[in-house]
Amino acid sequence: MIESDRLRDAYMTGVGAFLPGPRIGNAEMEDFIGRIGGRSSVVGRRALRWNGIEGRYYALDASGQPLHSNASMCALAAQAALDDAGLDKGALGFLAAATTQGDLLVPGHASAVQAELGAGPMEIASFQSVCASALMAAKAAWLNVRAGEADVALACAGEFSSRWFRPEFYEGTALVDAKGRPAVEADFLRFTLSDGAGAVVMEPTPRPEGRSLKVRWIDMVSLAGRFDPCMWAGAATADRADMKSAWSHAGPVAAHAAGAVALLQDFELLKIVIRAWIGVWLEKVDQGRIVPDTVDHLLCHYSAKSLREEIVGLLKDTKAMIPEEKWFSTLRESGNVGSASIWIMLDAFMKSGRARPGETVLCIVPESGRAMIGFMMLEVV
Amino acid sequence: MADGMQTDQVADTLRKLAVVFADFEQRLEATPLIRKLQRGRFELTDYQTFLVNLRQQVKDGALWMSRAASNIGEAHLELRSTLMRHAVTEHRDFRLLEADYVATGGDVEVIRAASKNVGSEALSAWMFHEASRPDPFGLLGAMWIIEGLGSIKAKPWGQKVKDRLNLPDEAVRFLLYHGDNDADHMEEFQEMLRMVLPDEAVAERIVMTARVTARLYVLQIEEIAA
Repeated sequence: MIESDRLRDAYMTGVGAFLPGPRIGNAEMEDFIGRIGGRSSVVGRRALRWNGIEGRYYALDASGQPLHSNASMCALAAQAALDDAGLDKGALGFLAAATTQGDLLVPGHASAVQAELGAGPMEIASFQSVCASALMAAKAAWLNVRAGEADVALACAGEFSSRWFRPEFYEGTALVDAKGRPAVEADFLRFTLSDGAGAVVMEPTPRPEGRSLKVRWIDMVSLAGRFDPCMWAGAATADRADMKSAWSHAGPVAAHAAGAVALLQDFELLKIVIRAWIGVWLEKVDQGRIVPDTVDHLLCHYSAKSLREEIVGLLKDTKAMIPEEKWFSTLRESGNVGSASIWIMLDAFMKSGRARPGETVLCIVPESGRAMIGFMMLEVV
Repeated sequence: MADGMQTDQVADTLRKLAVVFADFEQRLEATPLIRKLQRGRFELTDYQTFLVNLRQQVKDGALWMSRAASNIGEAHLELRSTLMRHAVTEHRDFRLLEADYVATGGDVEVIRAASKNVGSEALSAWMFHEASRPDPFGLLGAMWIIEGLGSIKAKPWGQKVKDRLNLPDEAVRFLLYHGDNDADHMEEFQEMLRMVLPDEAVAERIVMTARVTARLYVLQIEEIAA
């Protein structure tokens, strides 16, 4: 075991976010993601009531044309984080990039982000999962700084979900029934996820002026061995646990027809996965890793307002609740941006002026994908 | 002050129990039988085998609870009453299970004559062993697991079975009825915890009993050939 005095501390010295285009309200959102079979979604109204989102940003214009790419949004967020830290991109020694679905299938997202950023030769790492991929990238950046492998590391995350929500992904596939209605497991996410990117810069010393965030620890727990995929793309619902029947086996045309290409969510399983997240949280509290009373600010990436109500009852009874006045969220104003959400929230939080030296900031990133949850404990310095 | 200590230990115990239940649910989800149910591969024979295997343990439920009640001392009469009420409520539940089985086309003699599987044997032996001790408060942990299963898992399972196999309500009453019946179980359970806590040794025993019960219950489901 490495003695901790041989490891360096690591601080977030810059935070940046990028949200594309104008803010889109609930009434206009279907103009951007499109209407499946030309008809407004019935499921959509219900989804919006459930998740409480009132605004979001799309990297598409009203005719469905792209304004950005996933990588270019990440590069803009990375540049904003570097500007915030007062650093030039030439200072970067390590770049970690996270996303649910990158612009290309191959190569990795970090290559595309590095290219868009116009950064010189350096070490990079790509992390592909769902929301928690943000913390995978953050942990890589943190450990690189801690181990002395890099003096300036950047972790970014971006999503261009709206592109995957266009009608072409559903029309003429098994996801639309004979009456032209899309399956709930397909349509719901279209009203839940939107676009944007965020980034953080990490260094072994705090920035000379202004606030930095010391990264105390990052813990992630995946329960994939116990659950089938809960949110996925690349398989039809019935086949999703059988990796041999993944989309590439049938080829893209047949896979598309079978409804194996669009992003899907199993809502029955989600209820079980939510309880699994709560279980991990309670275990962290029980082990003393997290002491709720000592958390000053909670940034929780949750994909729906209603999840919170379900969580609150048990948390109060087990003294594991962090009072609501300590929660900071941008979900209602700028939507659920998947892996980028946590950085978009952290950026807004730091700009809000709420962070005071000595305070702790706990970031929680649950991922339904195949049941995972990540925690990151920060200290304002 | 004493109230504060009690509240803290009830909350601590409840939190540990919630962690045990989360692990329990995940292990159940990963059993071959439940995987079949979740993946849409569940057949009528799977459901019938499930009922046959469950019936023997459900029949024992009210019996170990009665035995536990008889071993609760005078200092905890209220808890004794609560367990007796529970036993009375549940001691005919296995008949409901038999009726469900018959409604699926099964022969009542088959479900009645079936022997316990390895997991049910272990679970039942463990329950009666615990219930035979003086003041067997650890069994609150067992109730947390088994009643939690009733209030959280039974109804969604029942609904999935019904939809998948196209069964009428009267073939899925045990699963569906439990979901309706146990909605207030959280509040009542906390009341029971307050009857025996604070007490460090009792709190530890409740959590350990929950863990053992959970593992043996999963073994029972694993043993159902899928």
